[in-house]
Amino acid sequence: MLSKLKFLFKTILLTELFQGLRLTGKYFFSAKTTLQFPEETTPTSPRFRGLLALRRYPNGEERCIACKLCEAVCPALAITIEAKPRESDGARRTTLYEIDLFKCIYCGFCEESCPVDSIVLTREKHYHFTERGQQIMTKEKLLAIGDKYESEIAADKTEDAPYR
Amino acid sequence: MLIESFIFYVFAAGLILSATGVIFLKNPVHGALSLVLAFVASSCLWLMLEAEFLALILILVYVGAVMTLFLFVVMTIDLDRDAHQPTFVRYFPFAVILMAVFAGILIFIFSSHLFENHFVKHPEDFSNIQSLGEILYTQYAYPFELAAVLLLIAIVAAISLNPRTLKSKAHKTQIIENQIDIHRKDRIRLVKMSSEKKP
Amino acid sequence: MMNELITLIIILLKIVLIAIPLILFIAYLTYFERKIIGYMQSRIGPNRVGIYGLAQPFADILKLISKEIIIPSTSNRYLFIIAPLLALAPSLVAWSVIPFSQGKVLANINAGLLFIFAISSLSVYGILIAGWASNSKYALLGAMRSAAQTISYEIAMGFAFVGVLMASGSMNLQDIVLKQQGGVFHWFFLPLFPLFFVYWICAVAETNRAPFDVAEGESEIVAGFHVEYSGMGFALFFLAEYANMILVSTIIALFFLGGWLSPFENIPYIGVLFSWVPGFFWLFAKTSIFLFLLIWMRATFPRYRYDQIMRLGWKILIPITIVWIIVLGLAVQLKLPPWFS
Repeated sequence: MLSKLKFLFKTILLTELFQGLRLTGKYFFSAKTTLQFPEETTPTSPRFRGLLALRRYPNGEERCIACKLCEAVCPALAITIEAKPRESDGARRTTLYEIDLFKCIYCGFCEESCPVDSIVLTREKHYHFTERGQQIMTKEKLLAIGDKYESEIAADKTEDAPYR
Repeated sequence: MLIESFIFYVFAAGLILSATGVIFLKNPVHGALSLVLAFVASSCLWLMLEAEFLALILILVYVGAVMTLFLFVVMTIDLDRDAHQPTFVRYFPFAVILMAVFAGILIFIFSSHLFENHFVKHPEDFSNIQSLGEILYTQYAYPFELAAVLLLIAIVAAISLNPRTLKSKAHKTQIIENQIDIHRKDRIRLVKMSSEKKP
Repeated sequence: MMNELITLIIILLKIVLIAIPLILFIAYLTYFERKIIGYMQSRIGPNRVGIYGLAQPFADILKLISKEIIIPSTSNRYLFIIAPLLALAPSLVAWSVIPFSQGKVLANINAGLLFIFAISSLSVYGILIAGWASNSKYALLGAMRSAAQTISYEIAMGFAFVGVLMASGSMNLQDIVLKQQGGVFHWFFLPLFPLFFVYWICAVAETNRAPFDVAEGESEIVAGFHVEYSGMGFALFFLAEYANMILVSTIIALFFLGGWLSPFENIPYIGVLFSWVPGFFWLFAKTSIFLFLLIWMRATFPRYRYDQIMRLGWKILIPITIVWIIVLGLAVQLKLPPWFS
């Protein structure tokens, strides 16, 4: 009976509505979480899985030894590799290394499986394609990306090394 | 004076045009909308007679409420337009006779000052509402109350005819009172659990 | 003849003087709404066009003007075009009787209150015709909901007006405001508090704003009555909605909060301190409070269910107003001080 009376009182005085108004009113004055995008970006983790890249050794030699582990592990079958001994020194190298970014699901398995830390996922997430066919990342493109972000990739790798 | 007669003739012509539209337009929604226009035009004519209460009430009640409901009904039901044509022709002679009678009466009454412009000029502080109210609540108090009671009876009758109030078993409705009378504690039990510890 | 022409030109100038700032205000109201709702959702709202995004309304208008106006092929062409105009016109016409300050009114007519009520009852036609002429089920549903809702809430609104009428003894808006002279406690919101509250709810419902925006109900019926409209047609509906918001906020300020009267009236020292402030400013401030409240409510409340809206209108608001009118009648008869003495 008393609870019913209390409920009636609450209904007539619209307490719940005023509670709601108070909540939104409180947020009106609270700090805003918006990031001004082109000027500010959200912080990313060193483990962020973005655009793919192929790395080189400091002396300029490409790391990839065409073991095809990444091709085997790729769940989306996005990686295609063809290999042949290099003509100059007979070292095992890839002649074709292509990743279809439309197929890629950015799982990072290729990075995990790579024995020489060659294929990596960078932090870069802002990229786009304007024409059909651009989504196929050839070896040259991947190496170029790797060269561009090498310092960042190396720093991320060292930061993550204790957990590996 | 010139501007006033000009305005008068504009609205009078609009009234006649829209009134004929009510009869002759085939689409019922167009007909209802031209009836709205007729109401607005006649309300403007009343405004020119300085009968602002009647004019505004006409807009408020007929245009704002009654015609909205009219449109509401006309828009939702699918009227078979062609089916109504024969009956229109069949009743046409009666309509002509009735119209002639009405026109005759009107001409008989107004023949003395037909096409003669004289607009009512009241003193500056004249209030149509006040004078109407004074008459309505003194001289015509009983008829006014009676009319109100009649309307009340009509409302009660309309509500009692509503199938929801008949409380038949076949008719299922939501009872909002019961829905509102639900407390949070009847429906939700918040359980506080300690988070799992890592082994 | 010449004199009449000059009066006509002066009246036209006055109309322009009211309409242009009003439309600017409407444009900026959209900006403030986006800002305020953004702030209440921990966002910052538009800030890219101009300083603090202040040029945003103009960017929006430019965009809407340059968009293509699409008329559905099975729609009723003329009614489809007329509908947005019919929606906007009443909300602008009503401003002709609104007094901005003592004596500053376009048409000081006797039946001002009735005029506003009659004109605001016309605004439903734009929505109704738009819904029917679009020949779209969502538009028709939105229009039907809107029509039913407007008619239901007009009754309670009318009763609230009757209360104001009884308290002031006049239908002239200036007289109504002048009757509230003598400081905050003489304003009508105290003796008419239930009516004040009911009027506010009805005003929100009449303008089809959240939480009574079932006519638009974007989660149920896409955008309600204006689904088929694009470009300027849509912009006119938008303008009409915001013009109505400003109108109802101004009306509630005039009827219940003393209009252009200063809240510091009759208070020693402070009253004199603020006596230089023009009346228009106070009206503007009071209107702004209600506009903020409208936006605040939109940011807070979820949409009412349609049948509950009907229940609230018919079974709760109307009885409240009728009871309070009887109480008010007694108070006026007994000349209850300080309001009715």
